[in-house]
Amino acid sequence: MSRKKTPKSKGGSVPAASTLPAAANGPRLAHPRTARPGPEAPPNGPPQSGRPSLGGTGDFYDVAFKVMLVGDSGVGKTCLLVRFKDGAFLAGTFISTVGIDFRNKVLDVDGMKVKLQIWDTAGQERFRSVTHAYYRDAHALLLLYDITNKDSFDNIQAWLTEIQEYAQQDVVLMLLGNKVDSTQERVVKREDGEKLAKEYGLPFMETSAKSGLNVDLAFTAIAKELKQRSTKAPSEPRFRLHDYVKREGRGVSCCRL
Amino acid sequence: MDPAERAQAARARVPRIDPYGFERPEDFDYAAYEEFFSTYLVILTKRAIKWSKLLKGSGGVRKSVTDLNRTFPDNVMFRKTADPCLQKTLYNVLLAYGLHNQDVGYCQGMNFIAGYLILITKNEEESFWLLDALVGRILPDYYSPAMLGLKTDQEVLAELVRMKLPAVAALMDGHGVLWTLLVSRWFICLFVDILPVETVLRIWDCLFNEGSKIIFRVALTLIKQHQEFILEASSVPDICDKFKQITKGDFVTECHTFMQKIFSEPGSLSMATITRLRESCRAALQAQS
Repeated sequence: MSRKKTPKSKGGSVPAASTLPAAANGPRLAHPRTARPGPEAPPNGPPQSGRPSLGGTGDFYDVAFKVMLVGDSGVGKTCLLVRFKDGAFLAGTFISTVGIDFRNKVLDVDGMKVKLQIWDTAGQERFRSVTHAYYRDAHALLLLYDITNKDSFDNIQAWLTEIQEYAQQDVVLMLLGNKVDSTQERVVKREDGEKLAKEYGLPFMETSAKSGLNVDLAFTAIAKELKQRSTKAPSEPRFRLHDYVKREGRGVSCCRL
Repeated sequence: MDPAERAQAARARVPRIDPYGFERPEDFDYAAYEEFFSTYLVILTKRAIKWSKLLKGSGGVRKSVTDLNRTFPDNVMFRKTADPCLQKTLYNVLLAYGLHNQDVGYCQGMNFIAGYLILITKNEEESFWLLDALVGRILPDYYSPAMLGLKTDQEVLAELVRMKLPAVAALMDGHGVLWTLLVSRWFICLFVDILPVETVLRIWDCLFNEGSKIIFRVALTLIKQHQEFILEASSVPDICDKFKQITKGDFVTECHTFMQKIFSEPGSLSMATITRLRESCRAALQAQS
């Protein structure tokens, strides 16, 4: 694949950005029962009855954010999402994502119900012209590569270019090296991921949708950061996404799979 | 050779019993039949040669197709353990198609379409040519890198909804929903994995026969039938959710009545209208980019 390189100067200003005001794409606070359904704000209706709720609408929550999963085709975006949403990994039962889809999950973050609306996208390059229209509404992006696929790692820079072009400036961004359960097939070293993340100032974790390693943590960290940005009182200590990820994240070395 | 000799020679070459088991009548015109068949044989032979060349050519290109084991993992014939495993067949068809139509190459979604063709024909080469008919002729540029035909048709559907179901169009506009979010899979996968298999196959019969207009008929019918339900939506996720639900249930399972509905419910849908809308939507999209 031929893609242009990312100018490094614009790399990452993201993680320590919790003091930034919630800009144009700021969090949409949804006040139960009083919120008016605006174009982007999912209102807080009573739980729907009867029909299976595919999008998981109807959950109660205090604040809602949009998170997008991006990265090359086959890196495990849908698996990561399903692991987080349902705690399941059913090997070999996933079909490739065509277009764009989303699922909701409500998390309890320090006593507050935070709803993540998680957008799953097709990874193939040509679908980007279809999906990048959604970047601008995203509050956070999880950028994935597959540690058993060098190309998916090499393409991270191109993804960052894409993100810079289409996402909001203050979008929360995190780099994830997925599939760490496949130790035999690993071709991207953990240090390489760390180095790249450092270069762009991004928080970084290795994850496994199969074992569940760091999956909840990645989403929780995002939720904490977003919640903090939207509700932080000036006196409150700042939430540090970087430190949190470093402290809580488990490497494969300490966790045999 | 005079006509009598020609007839005699043809009689010697053409079997007395046809491929369907019928004995040929006494007055069967062997010469005319042979002439007809030899023309058709040329086409079949050309196709077979082209196909075998593509397969051989693909030997050098070991391209990883990440979607092989992500195509119908819930189908026993596509499992790695199946014998024969249709993943290999799928690989051949997709790889050959990528070589054959290099402007398109491989686009996600084609795996599902080729997968269905393989399940139905049980034949690699036939699946390939049917895929070519769809991608290369029937569908207007859905899968090429710019996906302009796809984007155009999504806009065309939006316009048709505006004309025929204005309340739904108003709901979309009010929430700023992009149609691509709701219907891109309908167009790209031609309803595979969206509607029940039998219904999809009935739709495809019409698609091969009547062309891509059928996709609009199906989409409009689904939306019109569930208009009231869709209008209950009060948020973007709600709308998405409803659009997923309208592709399930009795209405789409009853494929016979469904097929009748797609020709009655949306009302008149002339090719002239579609062509005109496609032109204007494409122009608008090109002006945007």
